Amino acid sequence: MRAPARIAVGYDGSPGSEAALRWAAALARALGAGVKVVHAVGLLEHAGLAALSVHEERARAIVAGAGMESSRLEWCVLEGDPGSVLCRVAEGPDPAELLVVGTRRSSVPAGLLGSTSLGLVACAPVPVVVVPPAGQVG
Amino acid sequence: MLILAGPVGEREHDGGSHPERPARIRAALDGVSDLHLGSDLVTVAARAAARDDLLRVHDGEYLDELESFSRRGGGALDADTYVTDTSWDAAVRAAGAGLVAIEALESSREGVAFVAVRPPGHHAQPDRGMGFCLLNNVAVAAAALVAKGARVLIVDWDVHHGNGTQEIFWDEPNVLYVSTHQWPLYPGTGRPEEVGGLDAIGATLNVPVPPGATGDVLLQAMDEVAAPAVEAFGPEWVLVSCGFDAHRADPLAELVLTSGDFAALARRAGAYAPSPGRLVLFLEGGYDLQALRLSTAATLGALVADLSPPEPPTFGGPGSEAVRSAALFRRRAMEELSDRLLAVDSLDAPVTERPRWRLGGSR
Ligand SMILES: [Zn+2]
Repeated sequence: MRAPARIAVGYDGSPGSEAALRWAAALARALGAGVKVVHAVGLLEHAGLAALSVHEERARAIVAGAGMESSRLEWCVLEGDPGSVLCRVAEGPDPAELLVVGTRRSSVPAGLLGSTSLGLVACAPVPVVVVPPAGQVG
Repeated sequence: MLILAGPVGEREHDGGSHPERPARIRAALDGVSDLHLGSDLVTVAARAAARDDLLRVHDGEYLDELESFSRRGGGALDADTYVTDTSWDAAVRAAGAGLVAIEALESSREGVAFVAVRPPGHHAQPDRGMGFCLLNNVAVAAAALVAKGARVLIVDWDVHHGNGTQEIFWDEPNVLYVSTHQWPLYPGTGRPEEVGGLDAIGATLNVPVPPGATGDVLLQAMDEVAAPAVEAFGPEWVLVSCGFDAHRADPLAELVLTSGDFAALARRAGAYAPSPGRLVLFLEGGYDLQALRLSTAATLGALVADLSPPEPPTFGGPGSEAVRSAALFRRRAMEELSDRLLAVDSLDAPVTERPRWRLGGSR
């Protein structure tokens, strides 16, 4: 097999998603791959009823901090739930070949939310990497 | 005759400035009052759905956690969805209202039922609340009917795709789920290629339409794509996920329907019912209060009072081509799955197929 050339990472501005982006950028740098940073737009954000929770500049700064060229970052905003949009970027004509997600920081019981990462593993046509929170990975 | 089940959520489950708010129920009830139905309006109170009713579509662990989260005061489930200390009680009564509506129609054998409840339901998955939804009200009702041996059509004209309902009935051949929705838009599911699992090929029917689509485009989807499938399916009950957020005034999406278009859609849904007394409409979305009131009146007025809506229907927007290609993609996907089913059958192997769009959670 060959190394993935396109890595997609779910990014919602949370600490967990920042850890995932950092890890994905480090891997992409090592492999010479590109990183597609994917933000899923929810109901309120679509309507402008919630502040935009992510910022491209912040994502670019994280990628630069991991030593990756900013030109290899593709910023991608898609309408939908994080699970469905990540599955979508792994399909189609120019698909991501690896999906990277963080884990949720939340006071909500895990059983209430299902799990984006477990759902992805069930539906994704490509490998999925789940990155633990910052501080637990080098 | 109009059977009004509920209301639920006139005061409970209040998220402050959140658009999915208690005032929505008052607006819908005002729309019912505008019809001046007199003795043709029968109100039946909601009751809490029994745990066994909920377990037909939701996981027990999810129900337990949702209840205790609400009892502890709740919080944000995700960026869109909130839970308060009254949410659990409201949600189980919202889910039970549909069952009460069906019972009322079973004894009246005539009329139409409107389930005036919130929180809405069609995004709620077996093990996850999302998209303002906690329990899947329409699915609880459909599953109860299927348990009694009925074949159930669910028409979902809310502007968002009902990913929860689709997932719940993905492999259920006795439920035909038909959805029109704006694309692209949350929750990012509902492509025409999503046609159901190997046990229910074609029992899921999705027609996504672009922003700006008008009422005639949705009617085209009903007439050209849905109607032949409905006819072949032969429903005994018709349940409608009756969101009004495709109205042009709605702040959450960009379709440009008027209340007059919902009247026309309602007539289509009514025509799919095999006999009087087999049509139940469940309030889903709809976040502009005036549009919600007008649309409720127009929809129910078309069904029970043969009233002409004050807002004329719309036409000429984009989406006609999208409807035609949806029919094509759907046909191709069904053929592909049928070929796979034949291949699987010939190997005498067990059929296992997980929905590809599955969001969150593992079961
Ligand atoms: Zn909606």
